[in-house]
Amino acid sequence: MRLPLRFGRGRDDQPWRQEFPYAIDADEAIGRRHFLTLAVLTSGAVLLGTVGLALRGLSDDRRRGSPRAIGRADALEVGEAAYFTYPGADDGAVVVRLGADRFVAYSQKCTHLSCAVRYRPEKRDLHCPCHEGVFDIETGEPVAGPPRRRLPRIALRQEGSMLIALEEAP
Amino acid sequence: MNGRGPRALKPPVRPARPSPAPGRRSLVLAAVILGALMLALQLWLLTTALDLYLAGEGGSVWQLAAASAIVFAGGVLALLLTRSQEPPA
Repeated sequence: MRLPLRFGRGRDDQPWRQEFPYAIDADEAIGRRHFLTLAVLTSGAVLLGTVGLALRGLSDDRRRGSPRAIGRADALEVGEAAYFTYPGADDGAVVVRLGADRFVAYSQKCTHLSCAVRYRPEKRDLHCPCHEGVFDIETGEPVAGPPRRRLPRIALRQEGSMLIALEEAP
Repeated sequence: MNGRGPRALKPPVRPARPSPAPGRRSLVLAAVILGALMLALQLWLLTTALDLYLAGEGGSVWQLAAASAIVFAGGVLALLLTRSQEPPA
């Protein structure tokens, strides 16, 4: 049995046409136009989000922290790491001694989902145990796993035997 | 039964519209497909902008915002064009 899905123009005088006055073709055309209108509105919303990020990028300086002593440099052997908090009391960080006078420090917060990364001395990298993210110890750049951004780096200065954390920069 | 008798039939909301002219449907369909593609491009621009912002390189997000604005302007233009092609109700 064939369903009367396609309504011809010559049937406008039928009683059922008065009760259901839509041509199925016209309905499709209306749907597409409405979809296009919604797409343009969504496009405007996405544009607003991008412009908002651009505005925040101009005004927001994401460097954090002030100079603070984090420990004695000679307490670390070459290839060893120590954990401290910087810039806030809840912000975990790790400092690694790479050479006699070479220290690097990073935030422990993984750039994937903010788990705490740990230093692996046997592989000389920083490892996030949540999703197996790995960061290069020299640069903080992601080298494996889901992270796509480098770890925030903490600038250091050595004053005598003391290590001073200067600021954290993304 | 609620005792109120048979319900009156509603009057037609609006008269039946004729089928679109040949070619008009293709035009609207092309605009819709192009709009969906452009929307996907805009979403990609937004995620890239967010990535740059979180990486501390927010100064270069303006270029992405400008590209997104061009896409939006194109969408508005396409919408206006299809509206101008719409048959009178």
